Amino acid sequence: MTHPTLPAPFADLAPFAAQWARPSENARSEIRWSASKDDFKALYDAMMPRLDDILALLSQHPATGMPEDVHNLFLLACAFAEASPHHELYGGSSAVPYSFDARRFVRTDGDAAL
Amino acid sequence: MMTTGITAEDLAHISRSSEDIRRELGVDPVSVRAISDPAIYDLEREKIFKKTWLKVATTWELPNVGDYKVKELPVADASVLIFRGKDGNIRAFHNVCTHRGNKVVPTTGFETFGRSRANVVTCRFHGWVFSTDGPLRSVPMKERFGKLDTACLGLREIHCDIWEGFVFINFDAEPAQSLTDYLGDFGKLFGGYPYAESTTAFRYSTVLNCNWKVAHYAFSEGYHVPTIHAGSLPGFQGVDHRDFKLMGPHASSTIYGAGMDTAPSTLAFASMLSNTERHRPRPDQLPPAINPERRADFQFELPNLFPNFIIHLASGCGYPGMSFFTHQFWPLDHGRTLWEGINYFRPAQTAAEQVAQQHVNALHRNAWLEDTATMEDTFTGIMSGTIDEMQLMDQEFLIRHAARTLDSFLAA
Ligand code: FES
Ligand SMILES: [Fe+2]
Repeated sequence: MTHPTLPAPFADLAPFAAQWARPSENARSEIRWSASKDDFKALYDAMMPRLDDILALLSQHPATGMPEDVHNLFLLACAFAEASPHHELYGGSSAVPYSFDARRFVRTDGDAAL
Repeated sequence: MMTTGITAEDLAHISRSSEDIRRELGVDPVSVRAISDPAIYDLEREKIFKKTWLKVATTWELPNVGDYKVKELPVADASVLIFRGKDGNIRAFHNVCTHRGNKVVPTTGFETFGRSRANVVTCRFHGWVFSTDGPLRSVPMKERFGKLDTACLGLREIHCDIWEGFVFINFDAEPAQSLTDYLGDFGKLFGGYPYAESTTAFRYSTVLNCNWKVAHYAFSEGYHVPTIHAGSLPGFQGVDHRDFKLMGPHASSTIYGAGMDTAPSTLAFASMLSNTERHRPRPDQLPPAINPERRADFQFELPNLFPNFIIHLASGCGYPGMSFFTHQFWPLDHGRTLWEGINYFRPAQTAAEQVAQQHVNALHRNAWLEDTATMEDTFTGIMSGTIDEMQLMDQEFLIRHAARTLDSFLAA
């Protein structure tokens, strides 16, 4: 499998981009719903120490029209942004504890912004 | 900055203490019959949903001439076509062809967005063409109709008016009140905030197997926060739900909060947003009678705009960077409800801001998953006939008030 290209300082995160980065919230949710406790921990351990650096780089790019490697990093960061509560708050569960079935809860705006 | 000129003193008459609320709305349990009785639902359709002003769109959803939105509203047996016409004005029509009744704009799901570049829409059945401002423009083989008064065969218009960028319609042939009068003090209380700047929307919907009021009421109180949201709001130090307000059929209140433990990732995203002018907390932008003391622990305003709309105005003070969020509850039938929740932010300038908004949105969406988890069970419980009444505490007064308003509309 070829991994998405990431900006040089973050090239080592490419396997995580392959696993988690998807171009829409609905697609990222599919990945998240099938993730294990260990998946969440591995992503968190790889990303959290780098988060400030990643945000610093992404701060230099407008919200649309990023170069491809930056866009890949952006999508990985989006996946992390949505996955981090599962590690920090939900004990590694892929579902929010005591919650409604997330599959019945649809993002309805076509999720086109990304 | 405020354009309304309304001061907190001007609205002093809407504010209520807990004692006022108990005196005015009573303290007795409230019957659940309006939720359980299918016959009440038929009355609600006729006396509420076909009579009152209903929010159906925002102006910023339809930024360009020719933009349209179709909203399916089974509660009023209607498909509603909301158009921005050539003159820039927004109008609402029944999405029904005046030839033989086909849908003029085909729809998918409950909301359909589109754009007519030529400022016309064409019915696919026989090709009748309508202007985006309503009139019938052309009819194929027109000369073969023995009689056809095209001047009277434009799209059937629905009363439509706009408040602060929120588009409302009224199905009544002659609405008893203008939108401004219907909103009354609610329009003054919530007016003046730059809602239309927050054009970034994260929209969710789900169909719930419950009466619409079960869903509405679950989002109408802060009593549930420390329990149902224990998972998504860890280390939560309690809410201070106060500043009760009554405004005719509408009501409001304020959630202040002592905060909670912030997880490391949330802290990183939140501080990035709060360092920007456009996403930082803006208590100064709140209308003067909301959080009048400008308390730093303000979270959001929690109102009920009767019958089915909630605008939680936060101005970036609650969930980081969140400008406001809305809920709407559309009955599909007595025991089924379309719930729509939308989180509104100011547009992200940078990719980093967009990631941070995605995080905040996810946290809030997850809290909504906790809220919606109760609704079908609550309705099943009520329908079992086990309880005849709900017991309501002070901070559930929005429910007490909405139930009472509902009764008065049904009795009218
Ligand atoms: S029903 Fe629309 S053109 Fe015939
Ligand atoms: Fe809640």
